[in-house]
Amino acid sequence: MTDAVVTMDFHPQPASGQAKPWAFPAPERGALANGLTVLRCHRPGQQVVAVEICLDVPLDAEPDGLDGIAAIMVRALSQGTGQHTAEEFAAELERCGATLHARADYLGARVSLQVPVSRLPKALGLLAEALHAPTFAASEIERLVRNRLDEIPHELANPGRRAAKQLSQELFPASARMSRPRQGTEDTVARIDAAGVRAFYEAHVRPAAATAVVVGDPAGADLDAVLADTLGGWTGNSTEPLPVPPVTANDTGRVVIVDRPGAVQTQLLIGRIGPDRHDRVWPALMLGTYCLGGTLTSRLDRVLREEKGYTYGVRAFEQVLWSPAPHGADGATGASALAISGSVDTAATGPALDDLWTVLRTLAAEGLTETERDMAVQNLVGVAPLEYETAASVAGTLADQVEQHLPDDYQAQLYARLAETSTAEATAAVVAAFPENRLVTILVGDAAQIKAPVEALGIGEVKVVTG
Amino acid sequence: MGHTATQQAGSGGLTATEHRLDNGLRLVLSEDHLTPAAAVCLWYDVGSRQEVKGRTGLAHLFEHLMFQGSAQVEGNGHFELVQGAGGSLNGTTSFERTNYFETMPAHQLELALWLEADRMGSLLAALDEESMENQRDVVKNERRQRYDNVPYGTAFERMTALAYPEGHPYHHIPIGSMADLDAVTLDDARAFFRANYAPNNAVLAIVGDIDPEQALAWVEKYFGSIPSYDGKVPPRDGTLPDIIGKELREEIHEEVPARALMAAYRLPHDGTRECDAADLALTVLGGGMSSRLYNRLVRRDRTAVAAGFGLLRLAGAPSLGWLDVKASGGAGIPQIEAAVDEELARLGAEAPTAEEMERAQAQLEREWLDRLGTVAGRADELCRYAVLFGDPQLALSAVSRILDVTAEEVRTVAAARLRPGNRAVLVYEPVTSEEEADEAGDQASAADENAEQEGAGR
Repeated sequence: MTDAVVTMDFHPQPASGQAKPWAFPAPERGALANGLTVLRCHRPGQQVVAVEICLDVPLDAEPDGLDGIAAIMVRALSQGTGQHTAEEFAAELERCGATLHARADYLGARVSLQVPVSRLPKALGLLAEALHAPTFAASEIERLVRNRLDEIPHELANPGRRAAKQLSQELFPASARMSRPRQGTEDTVARIDAAGVRAFYEAHVRPAAATAVVVGDPAGADLDAVLADTLGGWTGNSTEPLPVPPVTANDTGRVVIVDRPGAVQTQLLIGRIGPDRHDRVWPALMLGTYCLGGTLTSRLDRVLREEKGYTYGVRAFEQVLWSPAPHGADGATGASALAISGSVDTAATGPALDDLWTVLRTLAAEGLTETERDMAVQNLVGVAPLEYETAASVAGTLADQVEQHLPDDYQAQLYARLAETSTAEATAAVVAAFPENRLVTILVGDAAQIKAPVEALGIGEVKVVTG
Repeated sequence: MGHTATQQAGSGGLTATEHRLDNGLRLVLSEDHLTPAAAVCLWYDVGSRQEVKGRTGLAHLFEHLMFQGSAQVEGNGHFELVQGAGGSLNGTTSFERTNYFETMPAHQLELALWLEADRMGSLLAALDEESMENQRDVVKNERRQRYDNVPYGTAFERMTALAYPEGHPYHHIPIGSMADLDAVTLDDARAFFRANYAPNNAVLAIVGDIDPEQALAWVEKYFGSIPSYDGKVPPRDGTLPDIIGKELREEIHEEVPARALMAAYRLPHDGTRECDAADLALTVLGGGMSSRLYNRLVRRDRTAVAAGFGLLRLAGAPSLGWLDVKASGGAGIPQIEAAVDEELARLGAEAPTAEEMERAQAQLEREWLDRLGTVAGRADELCRYAVLFGDPQLALSAVSRILDVTAEEVRTVAAARLRPGNRAVLVYEPVTSEEEADEAGDQASAADENAEQEGAGR
């Protein structure tokens, strides 16, 4: 081709240099006099400090019929304290250049603060105030309830969020908290009031049932003194841990279409449940799932995106939902969601699912290749220093470990485990995780156009729901 | 100068050096050994503003083609090699630039440079009809996923089309239209590459755990022989009057979960002191949870579930101040709009208080610390200032410029720009799907879209 004449000098692909040692940072574990556990981690040069407060309040602790009260409670912590009104509190925090986020999950609740190190003492003082002296004024709780009720339709309109809600509902029995949305439904949220929020707070939020993770470069500041002056002032009794309910799920292969007439794409969410990170299979599961759908060059996207052009991208992933401390001979009793998610254009829905199932069957029949496994290890292990460059990312992982009752060196050890996992182990784990006849498929899309082609695939009974 | 959270006002003592190869490639190096990682960022001075009528979306589709192989890199090799080396990578396209970036473990830096050089110098050796057809479908699905299949998904596109007049280079957004994506040919892509993907139209930044001398030698080795090109067609002039002069308005009846009021205000160009003042004005009005609009609409009036202002900084055309309010329950748009107008007028009449300035400056400073806190973020900012303003060093002093702005300057820009006669307004009124189908106009456009989709992916 004359117009493609290349005039540059070519050189062979360069070899890599000498890898520099890197390890996931080991936190220093301690406790304040009030019983608050503290994990600290020095990250030189990180000028924005990240603080995560893990509250041992799983959603199972919510009273019957009040789903969403944990989420409202943690949001309300910053909406007025003994010293500041809601508006004053937000203003003081932002004057520090800080951000504060709160969320409640099946595993526990989390309050996350990020602030430039020079303003850490003041921001920690505000955070302590929120934890130990929230006002829960009736008008603020009413506002948060209304705000939450306003948010729900926005979430349901989003195809990805709608699919996730349906999958939880399909997998878990109605009695299990995990079958229902983390932040409640319109019915349950509407019942939440200030008295209920205060009672929930008093029953569950206390320093002895909480952990503070502090990561960054304190740059000469006396962190011990700052912590004692701020979070050290939080008081409360000790508390009994809640009983741990067992997790069961129905992964009978089936399809649920959430009807969206006229939708130009179909949102797919295909899943079931698997083990939590305490299970020895976890590193093999991570590797196998990466090979299946971790990136654009994984098996799913190689076909669905790069060969067929059906999608902007489909990903396979695992997400821990429930991870109690293992006790006795029972070993791990937690659960994760194992899922494949993405969106495909409406007309391609049938063909895309057909190809997706072919990818799963081929994987089960032939297994992963050594090259695939090696690439996955090199990526998952190699990106670690990049992934943990900021204080916030390190703090997030340390807090995840706390919530999931994992040892402090879990992440550091994980890289060694990944490196020693064989191709056969990774194959076995991913094939067991995604068996072709035990997957619940949620499709948010135009039922009139996609139902017949999906039925023809024989991947399970097809049900159509609305809303 | 306002209060600062750090000794060197955001730069954290960072430095950068600049070099230029004989073929015109500009190089910025910044050393930082805290983490064994190196970021490579390459900005090409081309974006959707260079696209012509009938070919919207070409710059972005082309960006996808840059990952489909070059003379020495087969197929998806670019992705495979970077990820297999423990790196991460991507590319993005905006109105006024296209960027490609890899963050690598420090010992794999040379591989990223070899890969970027290979596609800059030899993409056309590998570009073929098959990858063109495949990526055309991928990009159409990207458009569906990010714009067409989500509530309010086309708001940005509609607003941009209102705020920049027909024929203006920023009138359309980078994703492009379905019809134009269908129309793009392989020859268009080849011509686009030849015109824009030359070393003298790019800036390369390498940041992190690097040996600058070694990095410079590698850049010379891999990029040095790529010929420069002088035939680039400069983008069409994006100059517009400072003020729109009247309110532009569109009401959309669509299946969305709630009423929404969105507006785009025409603001000063990026790179000016007035743009920094506008950034502070928007933060005082609508940044975070203590802003005037959040307090007014979400906390006090309780007419909104979310209310905020964002700034789209642009160098080649006026920037856009972007208001987004989602209504609460049954609250009506006129009530919300009256409150917004009152708050905007109040800022134009009275300068923000010292405390409000401190808050806004502290928030913007933290955003900068976050951006400059990773090697990839820093590399991107160095490229941005080099490409758009000719001086990468400006990235390291951006915070001090924001802290230097006075309350009176904030008031001045608010008075001049944040008023009804200088905005494009988009109002969303929800309808159910049945209602929508009853409207003849909408039915026609829905039919067009369906026809298009059936052609795709088959």
